[in-house]
Amino acid sequence: MSVVASPAATHAPSPVKRDLSERALGTLLLTPAALLLLVIVVYPIATLFWNSLHGVDNANPAAGEQWVGLKNYLNAFEDERFWNSTLHTVLYILVTVPASLVVGLGLALLANLPFRVKWPVRLGLLLPWALPLVFAGLIFRWFFEYRTGVVNDVLMKFGAEPPQWLSDPTLAFIAICIAIIWKSSSFMALMLLAGLQTIPRSLYEAAEVDGASKWQQFVEITLPMLRPAIFVALIFRTITAIQTFDIPYAMTGGGPGESTETLAMYIHKTTLDFLDFGYGSALAALMFVLSMAATSGYLKYTRRSSGRER
Amino acid sequence: MKTWKILLAAVLGTALAASASAQPTTLRIFTGGQQRPDVMRKIADEYQKRNPNVKVEVEIGGATSDAQQQYLSTVLSSKDSVLDLILIDVIRPAQWAAQGWAEPLDSYLGADRAKLLPAYLKAYADANQIGGKLMALPYFADAQFLYYRKDLLDKYKRSVPKTWDEMMDTAKAIMDGEKNPNLQGFSTAGATIEGTVCTYLVPLWGTGSDLTKGGKLNLDTPQARQPFQLYGRMKQAGVLPKNIAEIPTDRIRIDMQAGNLIFAMSWGYVWNRLENDADSRVKGKIGVAELPHDQGGKSATCIGGWQVAVSAYSKSKQEAVKFARYLSSPEVSKQQAILASHLPVFPSVYKDPDVLKANPWFAEALPVVEGAKSRPVSHQYPQISDAIRGNMNAYLAGTKTTDSALADMKSRLQPIFR
Repeated sequence: MSVVASPAATHAPSPVKRDLSERALGTLLLTPAALLLLVIVVYPIATLFWNSLHGVDNANPAAGEQWVGLKNYLNAFEDERFWNSTLHTVLYILVTVPASLVVGLGLALLANLPFRVKWPVRLGLLLPWALPLVFAGLIFRWFFEYRTGVVNDVLMKFGAEPPQWLSDPTLAFIAICIAIIWKSSSFMALMLLAGLQTIPRSLYEAAEVDGASKWQQFVEITLPMLRPAIFVALIFRTITAIQTFDIPYAMTGGGPGESTETLAMYIHKTTLDFLDFGYGSALAALMFVLSMAATSGYLKYTRRSSGRER
Repeated sequence: MKTWKILLAAVLGTALAASASAQPTTLRIFTGGQQRPDVMRKIADEYQKRNPNVKVEVEIGGATSDAQQQYLSTVLSSKDSVLDLILIDVIRPAQWAAQGWAEPLDSYLGADRAKLLPAYLKAYADANQIGGKLMALPYFADAQFLYYRKDLLDKYKRSVPKTWDEMMDTAKAIMDGEKNPNLQGFSTAGATIEGTVCTYLVPLWGTGSDLTKGGKLNLDTPQARQPFQLYGRMKQAGVLPKNIAEIPTDRIRIDMQAGNLIFAMSWGYVWNRLENDADSRVKGKIGVAELPHDQGGKSATCIGGWQVAVSAYSKSKQEAVKFARYLSSPEVSKQQAILASHLPVFPSVYKDPDVLKANPWFAEALPVVEGAKSRPVSHQYPQISDAIRGNMNAYLAGTKTTDSALADMKSRLQPIFR
């Protein structure tokens, strides 16, 4: 305790006492929340890592749980399906994260225009975000349905040969990306809209006086001022993109074959269909590593750039 | 004043709680959306009438066998007691026995067991006993049949096809004659779902071969290629829907019902919907026969059907077993046959005049069900199923060839059948 409080404490003894009692009070007040987090966050995560080091095959409980060390992880590295599903996940991230940022920024700028009635615009922004993911997936599956889907209906009106969106790996990937971008752009837009509204109007007024064009205003004022909001939005969006599950699950079920299967879907398959909790936990831990790597990359970048500004 | 109110509420609350404990047993049964929960409700209502101390709640979940199992895996892995009875697919008892999810029924049945079991179709009595223990009771039987458009066959003076080639030929002739772009020749399950396992196995069995031989994988035979080649020929002939790789089980029924299919490989429940649904365009125009086979081969079909299991975590097992026995009685079998064209689990019910009036084709269905084959029995069945359906689906979508699909299937199955 004394080590932590030492530099300020040596000069004035009385604040130490207050410091300590305030510390105690603080700790006391934090305890319930910390305990709750321990139970609902730390315990499950610890269990996951524990399981990943054990053979926990619930399909064959008679075999019992035994310590296998890193065997589950080594198996994953040799598992073609793990690499394929990871590759698909990375492709979804690379396509949908930048795309939903661009679309989201456009939507946010649109919503930030001085409309007389604001609520229809805001509602339009909120709706895709408020819709459960799996519903969005089902809706888009119907859109892209071969015979009865609206997309092929429109294509046929223009005389085009209707493609089989969901039974061609490339087309299925495109269809899924469209659904994900539609679904996630509104979340991006909401975060960016909040950022846009913190930019003081006076900056634009000053720029206008100086004769800056709209485009110059956007590049010189809006984008730099929006950077913190963009980073937060990107971090959130990337984490959810790593966990991509619902939309491909509802649209293709990973098919054709396993060509649109994501890592999250493979984890779901391993644990809930195959009941191999040990291997599934190892896969989940690897996904966690992927998540950590991506976020720490962002965080490092934001820290560096905010340091520069100071 | 306020304290009085609170006290009063507390007293009333306790009284209510006390009366609740004297209430009848509530049994909660889980059924899939495709297993006609409406019929289950009717059966349960009748049971409640006869047993006023029992209240039955019907919980409806997942449209496909897989979706149901995913939900049930979550509930039962956490040892939740919320469900008392569960309808399970015929492929599940081995997995459920290994998990300890189903309560073995032997001790509850006692001396009745020896009398009860021989009355069922043998396949179902066998399917529900794992290692000599009775894991569930049969609710209804099922097998895949060839559904065909009687009216179109008559119009083009064709007979019901006996071989796959005859079927393709007839389908093409009708499609060419009708010139209806929505009319498709033949459909079966092709999506990445459980039904697609049978899409592969049925033509394989038709050659007289099987997935395994003496417990070892048996896919190095020329027969193992036959299912791929068969569907490849159908695709080439334009008989299969272009999006066959997206077709789940119930979509076949919907396409048939809309009048867009000439032939289909599907299960018993389809008949009732085609004949009775308000939006059916094919009432009275449908025939049901056994599935075609190769020239010189023999017709084969997948065994299906649903079983009533009592949850190992139920808090009212005694009552649950009683209800399960009712659900698995000849009386309920007959009721289901009439209301839902669910195939009976008792041979005697197939000859019942009321049942035959509702389902004239049941007269010839009994030997088909009796000859139906089982998908591999293993506690690792989900992996087996995944390997077969994934590769069948990829082949139907055109992303894998016969060689690559078969090689991938083998490499996935090899570690399971060591």
